Formats: sequence, structure tokens, C-alpha cells
Amino acid sequence: MRSSRLLRLAIPLMFIPLVAGACSSSKSSSSSATTAAPASGGTTASTAAPTTAAAKVSGTLNGSGSTFQAAYDQVAIQNFQQANPGATVNYQAKGSGAGQTDLQNAVVDFAGSDATVPAANVANFKGQLLYFPTVVAPITVSYNLPSVSSLQLSATTVAKIFAGKITNWNDPAIAADGNSGLPNLSITVVHRSDSSGTTQNFTDYLNKADPTDWTLGSSKTINWPGSTVAGNGNTGVASAIKGKSGAVGYVDFSDAKASGLVWAKIKNSAGNVVDATLAGASEAAAGATVSSALTYDPANSSGAQAYPITSETYIITYAKYSDAGKVALLKAFLSYILGPDGQNAASGVDFAPLPSSLDQQALAQINQITAG
Amino acid sequence: MSTLQGSFRDATVSPARRFRNDLATVLMWVALAVALIPLAFVLYYVVHEGLRIMGWKFLTKNIPVIQRTKGPGMGPAIIGTLLITGMATLIAVPLGILGAVYIVEYGADNRLARVIRFLGDVMAGVPSIVMGLFVYTVWVVRFHHFTGFAGSLALACLMLPIVIRSSEGMLRLVPRELREAAYALGTSKSRTILTVVLPAAASGIVSGCLLAVARAAGETAPLLFTVGLTSKLNSNLFRNQNTSLSLQIFSNATQPFAGAQQRAWGAALTLMVLVLIFSVAARVVSGRLAKASS
Amino acid sequence: MATITTEAPPPASPPPNLSARRPAIADRTFRYITLACGLLVLLILALIAVATVSKAQPAFSHEGIKFFTTKVWDPNNNKFGALAFAYGTMVTSLIAIVVGVPVSIGIALLLTEVAPRRMRKPVVYVIDLLAAVPSVVFGLWGLLVLKKPLDNRYADLNNWFRHIPVLNTLFSGGGHQGTSFMTAGLILALMITPIVTSLSREVFATVPSAQKEAALALGATRWEMIRSSVLTYGRSGVVGAVMLGLGRAMGETIAVALLIGSNAQITAHLFRSGDSMAGVIANQFGEAFGTFRAALIGLGVVLFAITILVNLAARVVLNRSERQLGGAL
Repeated sequence: MRSSRLLRLAIPLMFIPLVAGACSSSKSSSSSATTAAPASGGTTASTAAPTTAAAKVSGTLNGSGSTFQAAYDQVAIQNFQQANPGATVNYQAKGSGAGQTDLQNAVVDFAGSDATVPAANVANFKGQLLYFPTVVAPITVSYNLPSVSSLQLSATTVAKIFAGKITNWNDPAIAADGNSGLPNLSITVVHRSDSSGTTQNFTDYLNKADPTDWTLGSSKTINWPGSTVAGNGNTGVASAIKGKSGAVGYVDFSDAKASGLVWAKIKNSAGNVVDATLAGASEAAAGATVSSALTYDPANSSGAQAYPITSETYIITYAKYSDAGKVALLKAFLSYILGPDGQNAASGVDFAPLPSSLDQQALAQINQITAG
Repeated sequence: MSTLQGSFRDATVSPARRFRNDLATVLMWVALAVALIPLAFVLYYVVHEGLRIMGWKFLTKNIPVIQRTKGPGMGPAIIGTLLITGMATLIAVPLGILGAVYIVEYGADNRLARVIRFLGDVMAGVPSIVMGLFVYTVWVVRFHHFTGFAGSLALACLMLPIVIRSSEGMLRLVPRELREAAYALGTSKSRTILTVVLPAAASGIVSGCLLAVARAAGETAPLLFTVGLTSKLNSNLFRNQNTSLSLQIFSNATQPFAGAQQRAWGAALTLMVLVLIFSVAARVVSGRLAKASS
Repeated sequence: MATITTEAPPPASPPPNLSARRPAIADRTFRYITLACGLLVLLILALIAVATVSKAQPAFSHEGIKFFTTKVWDPNNNKFGALAFAYGTMVTSLIAIVVGVPVSIGIALLLTEVAPRRMRKPVVYVIDLLAAVPSVVFGLWGLLVLKKPLDNRYADLNNWFRHIPVLNTLFSGGGHQGTSFMTAGLILALMITPIVTSLSREVFATVPSAQKEAALALGATRWEMIRSSVLTYGRSGVVGAVMLGLGRAMGETIAVALLIGSNAQITAHLFRSGDSMAGVIANQFGEAFGTFRAALIGLGVVLFAITILVNLAARVVLNRSERQLGGAL
């Protein structure tokens, strides 16, 4: 019968996926060994081979969280995977809040986060947490004004803009900061749509620098006033700024640079107008007090040339894991990031390395991760 | 349907009425254009931008770990889509067809069957994100991992009502006489269903299933909270995170980097080709059915 | 695919005395297997309902009725009001209906009444192609291709309508964005067109030609015939199709999440950015815990309930219209 012949032809179509799966499992062993190196163009990512002859580790490590550190993490992962062909590290950049929740539910092995876990949530985690600071970088106030090539802003102006109190670029307050040639264009504030450590650190700066004008608090999600636009992740914000004339938003330095954005110089607490640079970020980090848990806050730092909106970022792990193989892999990965190769790789992708004393403390803390 | 044309009508229709008639006709054609022009644009961009990065390398290389790099590589996502959708098909299709069999064959005077059918319709309307939430809360959190299989479960929940509804329709189309002839020969009910009814409805059922597969392959929301992310190929659905074309498109769409956007277009082209293959196959199979029965 | 299922006479069953010839076990086992599969639908649906409602319960008890009536969504201070998101879902779906339904009905009429017969198949194929495009591809295209040009058009419309009374509330007032209620609504219109078109087409095809010929015989132009016979006759069927389209528009997540702007606000200005229930779940669920997560699941439950109600109402209307049309034959 014709239809049964058709059946014999059509049913295999539904099993293409299975056939593909069978064929792919023989391919997978060869393809995972040669991870893709950047093909053409792209970033000047430092692909230095590790100088220390560490024993090769293998296995899969899963992490998720901060988009602020994502660009650095990707370079670190690529280098780490090249040095350890049997290792796979998956890092899903979906915001610090999501990373913390994933770690809380133990669906990932580590979380990338620019913010510490709120005190109220610590009890929900499955065990003791360890904070590993990894790199430091400026948060830029990026803007889209084709006719304005440079902009300098005071903390008050930044706070008012993001609080929705200044709504047009030709507002006298902006000109009073030392700018000219500002167009009559309404300001579109761009912020994060997801729960973000970058938001928390940015609003933390606003809280510290101008508490009178900024009243919306500091946390990973803010009740933004008025008509704004949101982007998903630092890159989403960068896209949104690029796509709208008159937009302004907060983006990490690395993504802002790679997206071709321009950003404002900010007047710091010492009264100097400072550009967003790695040097400014390093100075801010060096001036911050470090807690015993290795957390610190470089926002609105007092250094003369410190960039005031500098952000810290961490990899948060548990102190104890049941899988010994995972522990070895995690320790090796952290050792790479906090070791000389990992820290040197940071500037190639526009992040500043940690101050060396903090780096040493973090390296020592790796030993606190145990299996059991 | 007959239409009156020619001078008879022209002689009696006032200009105002004729104008309204012509206007209506024009508007209908405009409506068609309004739907087709955006479609043409979407297809043009997907093909034009996607072809720029398409190639053997794009289909087989791993996804670049550094999202800013330009260059091809979507292999893991293609395999991920095929595997996750394939597993979902394996789960949903047999269950759905057998469920439809119950509704149709045993459901004549059976209230339970009517309830099941009603609930199948209800389930078809569940937003896909709720399916993803559901699998996240009962599976991912319970077992502490993102896996391809969790994504397959969510997709299977999505496909099940579609498979049931289309299979049910096809089974009802099988003529009563066929069954009666089998019973007259002394065949039991189950054997009749298996050897007479199902083969008779086969093309239609297969066509419906292929359409469900096409729909599932393009879904993103159910996979958002269940599958995770990876850049290396993972052919094991039960261990470790995976990725899919739809997830890659979703995450690359909001990136400002040209390389990421290019890969998104390439993934979109690949996904559309995949979806089209299944849709066209569905049409071919059902078309033969129409020819065979006419 | 939604189709109008006609209630065919139930399939026959074997006469009782013959079933003694074969072992009853195999027969009964098969019946139970199929029953189990059917019950699976019940089970899964019940599980979804129970799991989501129970996980959402903390938020409902925390907020009470205010969950549905306040617009303040402030996870830090544990305040959850879903109004802005419900508004966004409603507005984008309404735009989708207002733009998409006339287009769909127009195409359906075109296919059944106006276009030459050999055009039907290719056009149906192309409309099905529209249905096959995944939501995320629409979102990608909308973001990368449509956003900027649309924003420019919004700027123009913003200026044109500035002094016209009702329209200026909808379209003027500044704050226009490429990602906005209108953009999401337009893409949704494109996405619901196939389903509303195909259902309407089925409805119009069932109109008895006797009716149509009678109208023509009385001297009606084709449009008058359509209006008096086809549209009046198929009215409830079209209403059902529209409601099904509405249900689909409300549940749509990805394209809306990418194109609506993700800014929770209630405003009449359609060119401003907003947020939808499905969109905020997609954006914020990853990080939610405790009452926050319960609130997002609660949004999911509300969305679930609304889409079910709309779909059910659509089914009822469609079944009733089908009986109407069937009965007249």
C-alpha cells in the first residue's frame, strides 16, 4: 500500500536526531581536544601558555553569573582549556543574581558575581562560601551623542541623570560640569533588565557620592523611574546605548571599548576629573580596605587619580564539594586565574589585575576548598 | 461558486457600490502584501546575513569561547538542537499517539476520554515559558544540574498536546467501515487498532508529528532555564549542560559584537533550514495521503 | 495546529461475543496502556498546576490581592505588584489583534472568495512558512534590522500627531524607543496572522454556497455578498479564531522579551518601552529566590490562567459556530 511505503520513508526523518547523536559521539572526542582558537580579526586576547608545569586536569566545571567579568572569564577559560585539553569549563553569563541563585541551588560549581551575597540569603546556601576576587575594572558611563566627542560629569550630575531628574542633554547642569556643544536631545537612560552586580556597584557609587540626589538605593535590581530602556547583561546595555541617539548607561570598560562606545570622564572624590582607565581602576582598588573574607569595595575611592566608579568582581565557591575530581579542577582553574598567567592576561582584554597583596591572599585561600 | 459578471451587473451597480467593491478587493490584496512583505524581509536577511558565515566550518566547529571573536562555529548548537528535540520526540510521539488512540477508540461513551481531550486542549495553550519554569522547579533544582534531558522534558510537554490533537484528528478520519470489516473477521479491538486503524491513519499522524517536531526545534523559552550553556560539543543528554540553536540566537541577538551577531544569523539560517525540512516533509507526507484517499 | 474538528460518529467496537475468541488479557492490556498515556496528559497538567501554584503561594499570601492591582515591582523591598506587566501583555496583545486580525481576515477572504483557485495552494504554503519561522528569529530580525528604522518612524509619527487630540496620547509625547509596546505588538501581529488566517479560511469555506449565490442573484456586488453572507455567517467562527490568536499573543515570550524594552511602566504612549509578564519571567527568573521567585512563578500562574481562559472561550465559540454552520446544511 502506498501509505505504508511512505511511512517507511518518513519515519526515519524523525530519527535523524538520533542518528546525528550517534555520529556525533564519535566526533566529539576529536573536536573537544582542539578548541576553536579565534579565527580572524577579533580581540587581542593574550593566549600565553602557562609557564608553570601544572599537572593537567580534566572534567567539566560549570559556572554562571556576572556579565561584568564575562569577557575576562572567556579568555581565562580558553587559555585554561588549551593547557588542559581534557577540561571543559562552561560559564553562562546571565547576571550576578542568577549566578548566586544557581550556586544556591547547587546547579553550578561556582558563581561569577560582582556583589557579595546579601546577608539574608547566606543561610539558603548549601554550605560555607568562599569569595575569590579575580580582576578589577572601571564601570563606564557610556553615551551615544555623535556630535559630542568628550564629556565630563560630576557625581551629582550622574546621579541626577540616572534618577531621571535631568532629562535633556542641553540641561545647564551638564554644561556646568565643563561641557559645551550639547544638543537639544532627550536623555534615554539605559539600565539592566536582569539582576546585576554591575547595577549594585554602580548604584553603590551613586549612594556614596551623592546620597541626596540618588534615593533609589543600591542593589542588584532597581526600581528605575520613568521611561527608560533595559538591556540584558552588560552587552545588552551596550547594544541598547549604541542603538539609540541620546542614550546613556553604565557598561563595564571592556565591553564598552569592544563595542566602540565613548564614555564620560568622572570627577572623583578628590576633585579630579578622571578617565575610565585600568590605571585609575588599579589605584582605586589599591586604596580599598579588604575584609577577612577577601571582599572589598573600591567605589568612590579616595586616591588622587582613582577612577571613582571602579568595580570589584568575584568568583564565589563553596568550601566543600563531594566530588574530588571537581575540587581538583576548580582549584586548578582558580590557580590559573590568580596566578601570574591569568593576571597578566587580564589587561589584554581590558581588565586590571588585582593588587598583588590581595592576589596572594586569594591564592592562599584556594587551599580552603576541600572534598568531603 | 458562481459569480455574476459582465454587463448585466455593470448595468445595475451604482458607482458608489462598485467603488466599495473594488476598494474591498484592493484592501484584501494589500492585506496579503502586508503579511508577505515582512516575511520576505525576514527571509532575505536570514539568508543574506546567514550565508556570509555559512560553511562547513560553521556547521562543525565549536562555538568560540570568546564571544567577541569573529568567525564561524555553531556545531555544538546544531547537535544540541537535534539531540534535545530528538529525545523530546521520542518521549512525546509514542505517548501522544497512544493517548489519541485512547481518546478516539475507547472514548465513544467515555467521559474520561472527553476530559482528557479537553485537558489536552488546555495544555496546548500553556505558555512555553511556564513549561520551562515547571521543569526547572521539579527537575533541575531537584537533581542539581542543567542537562539536555531536562530541556527535552520541557519540549516533550510542549509537543504532547500537539501530537495528541493532530493524531486524534487523523484517527477520526479513518472510515468506520474499515474497523467494522476487521471486527467482522474476528479481530480483537487492540489488534484492529494496531494493524488496521493506525496504518490507515499513518501518513496523517506522521505529518502531524513532523510539524510538532518543527515547532519544538525552534522553541527557546522551555530551554532557557533547563539546558544551561556550553561551547563544546556535548552528545550526552544526561550529563552536563548543553546548548541549542535557539538559545544561541537568543543570547547573541543582544550582543553588540559583529562576530556574535554574525553567528546569530548563521544559526538562524541553520534553524530555519531545519524547521523547513521537517515542515516540507510533513506537507509531502500529508499530500500523498490526500492523493491516496481521493 | 488548531483545526475545527467535526464530531464524526464514534468508531465501531467489536461485537461482544467475538472477543471470547482471543485472550482478553492482550486486549485489556492494550486498553490500559492507551489509558495510561491519556492519563499522562491529566497528570502532567495537574502537576504543572500544583507545582506552580504551590510555589507561587508565598507571593500570593504575602501580597494578597495587591499582587494584581499594584504596579510597584521592587524585589529588594519584597514588594511585588504585577500590574505593569499585565498591562504590557494586554497592550501588546491588543496591538497584535488590531493590526493582525484585519490582515488575516483579508487574506482569508482573498483565498476563499477572490483569488483564482490555483493561487490558493502557493499562498497557503507561504502563510505556513510564516508560521514556521521561530519566535527567536523574529526577535533577532526585529532587534538587528527593524529597531532603528522603526525608531525613526516613531520619531516622525511623534511629530505628526502632536496636535491631534486622541492620537497624541497614543503616539506623541516623546520617549519613543525602537524597542517598545508598538514594536513588540507589530511582530506579534505577524506571528498570529497564520493561525487566525487558517482558522478564518476554514470558517469561510464552510459557508454554504447557496447563501452566497442567493446574495449574488439579488444583484449584490462581490463585496456586498461577502459582507452579508460570508462575514455574517462566519462571524462567531472568526471571533473564535481571533480569541485563539489572542491566546497565542499573550503567551508569546521570546520575541516580546527581546522587543518590548524591559521597562516596567504603565503608559498610554505606545512608542515607549514596557514589559510583559512572560518577558519579565524570562529576564528575571534566573536570579530569583524566595518570595521573589514565588512572585515570578505567580506571574506564570496568572499568565497560564488567562491564556487557558481565553483558549477555552475560543474553543467554546468555535464549537458553537461549527454546530451552527453544520446545522444549516
